[in-house]
Amino acid sequence: MSELTLLILQLAFLALLWVFIFIVVYAMRSDLFGQRVRKLREAPAATSGAASAAGSGAASGAGQAPVAAGAAAAVAGAAAAAAPPAPKVPTFVPAPGTELSGPPHASTANARRLVITSGTKAGSEIPLGTEPLTIGRSSDSSVVIRDDYTSTHHARLMVWSEEWVIQDLDSTNGTFLDGQRVTSPTHVPLNTPIRIGATSFELRR
Amino acid sequence: MTNAVAPAAEPASATPGRGIRRIRVPQKLRNLELFLLLFVCAVNAFAVVLVQFGALGYADMTVFTLGAGLAVLVLGMHVALRFVATNADPFILPIAALMNGIGIAMIYRIDIAEKLTGWESTAVRQVVWSGLAIALALVVIVVIRNHRVLQRYTYLAMLVAALLLLLPMLPVIGQEINGARVWIHVGQFSFQPGEVAKIALAVFFAGYLVSRRDSLSMVGTKFLGMRFPRARDLGPILVLWALSMSIIIFQRDLGTALLYFGLFVVMIYVSTGRASWVVLGVGLFLAGAVIAGQVLVYVNDRFTNWLDALNPAIYDADGGSYQLVQGLFGLANGGLIGTGLGEGRPDITPLAQSDYIIASLGEELGLAGMFAILALYLLFISRGFRISFAGQDDFGRLLGVGLSFTVALQCFIVIGGVTRVIPLTGLTAPFMAAGGSSLVANWIIVALLLRLSDTVRNQPRLVI
Repeated sequence: MSELTLLILQLAFLALLWVFIFIVVYAMRSDLFGQRVRKLREAPAATSGAASAAGSGAASGAGQAPVAAGAAAAVAGAAAAAAPPAPKVPTFVPAPGTELSGPPHASTANARRLVITSGTKAGSEIPLGTEPLTIGRSSDSSVVIRDDYTSTHHARLMVWSEEWVIQDLDSTNGTFLDGQRVTSPTHVPLNTPIRIGATSFELRR
Repeated sequence: MTNAVAPAAEPASATPGRGIRRIRVPQKLRNLELFLLLFVCAVNAFAVVLVQFGALGYADMTVFTLGAGLAVLVLGMHVALRFVATNADPFILPIAALMNGIGIAMIYRIDIAEKLTGWESTAVRQVVWSGLAIALALVVIVVIRNHRVLQRYTYLAMLVAALLLLLPMLPVIGQEINGARVWIHVGQFSFQPGEVAKIALAVFFAGYLVSRRDSLSMVGTKFLGMRFPRARDLGPILVLWALSMSIIIFQRDLGTALLYFGLFVVMIYVSTGRASWVVLGVGLFLAGAVIAGQVLVYVNDRFTNWLDALNPAIYDADGGSYQLVQGLFGLANGGLIGTGLGEGRPDITPLAQSDYIIASLGEELGLAGMFAILALYLLFISRGFRISFAGQDDFGRLLGVGLSFTVALQCFIVIGGVTRVIPLTGLTAPFMAAGGSSLVANWIIVALLLRLSDTVRNQPRLVI
């Protein structure tokens, strides 16, 4: 075995090692750089009029919060038609943004499903167990939302002492609970829209 | 809003429960894993052939006993994953297999230099240990179908860890090798129970912190811009500190102590999100290490060897820096692309096949090979962190972080020691170094990470 052959073999071996590493890195690129973004078509206009109105109302920012809240109240009213009506007049008003009066907190006992209320998949739902759910663009999220506005790991629905809590995972475009941006883990009331990008969903019985 | 209130169109996208037959889909992840594994087996065989060409000048059938043994084992594991963990991460197994294979090739190379054959040969024993380790990993992944059952055994795990740590101190089976009393010896076998104890400890920490973290993170007084915990919440960290200090004093093993304590500090930091725990932990350990350096002779020697390694007096001293400096010379001899497998002199360094395998590999594969190996570790650990990050339940997330961090910290302690970044302590380079206990422990970590990643991808999900 000449020295030159050995040198070439050695270089080939090192090259193979690096080829392996680059194959692995290439194969996990979606984990490193995020999922490929699917461009959204223009929102279907008439069919989900109220939903997109609520969505765009909330989207236009904090200045129009009352609009969004109004829309949300309508949503709550419509959804709770069969259920016991939500108290209209709050008896106790905590500091704004901390607690929401109205529908009761969603707990593992009373919330059974997560329903998408607006967006491309409006109407679909997944059952809620007692396990936490993750929401984001990454393929290992429970609710995978592949659009321009969603971060790879956007938000998390957790169970804190049997009640559902939404936590924003430092997403770029934010998570909005009933039109208000979620900054710290917040209890989720039943039938209240949570908006992430162009998608809204609610926790329902 | 009417359409939203209407009953949901199809809940079919959710995963059906047990007993309902799933539609058969091509196992994309497993096919990727198979491709990577075949690639890895080729690289491993290539490494053994290169060692023979370099050291002996010819190639014989050894490549089949060494290379094929590992190949059959990992491919067997792959087939098993197709049935029991379809959605497990496809990168972890190939990366672990590659590191194991490179390790075996290097150990075989040292065997050639020391003229060991048959059962004397460390490489053959390493292959047998790999078989045992992979078989155990398989058992773990088949038996533990859901990692959450481990949470039930939180305190049992603590007991197991404590027993494993105490085993080497027992009079008959305990054994002292090179000054450290961390071995047990039964018949032909010697085993380092501390390696397996780290898994039990990770399970215990995860279970314990999930239930206690609120009290550990919510209250405390603010000082220097950080919220420090109350005195009564310091209990756990002080107990762990006492444990690692007693490992330093009684078992005379600096590396293991650092490993356990570092594991706990990182897990408490991850579970509470308080930097003050890290400050406290690092402070406590440094204080302990400095005091130990003053009081205990062997710790003091380690510090001297580290700080003044190239001093001829220390180099020649008994228990001096000979090994450390030989390792550095070896690395320097390797240069950029190495001397070539089988063509260097790594066997001059004591323990070239176990604690010093990184220096041996650095000599024969050079800086390019060293960085490739570090990149493999990096990929492995990053997969572990990612699996934990994507996890849903807090126990699984913490467990994943803990397990991957032990591998990371062990790499840092070992490679940092060999390259003179930190004082040298005897730990094994995960997956590579000769040593059954280390292999068993790390392959069990592989199995647990695979199980975690399978659960992560197997939950009810909805794609929008």
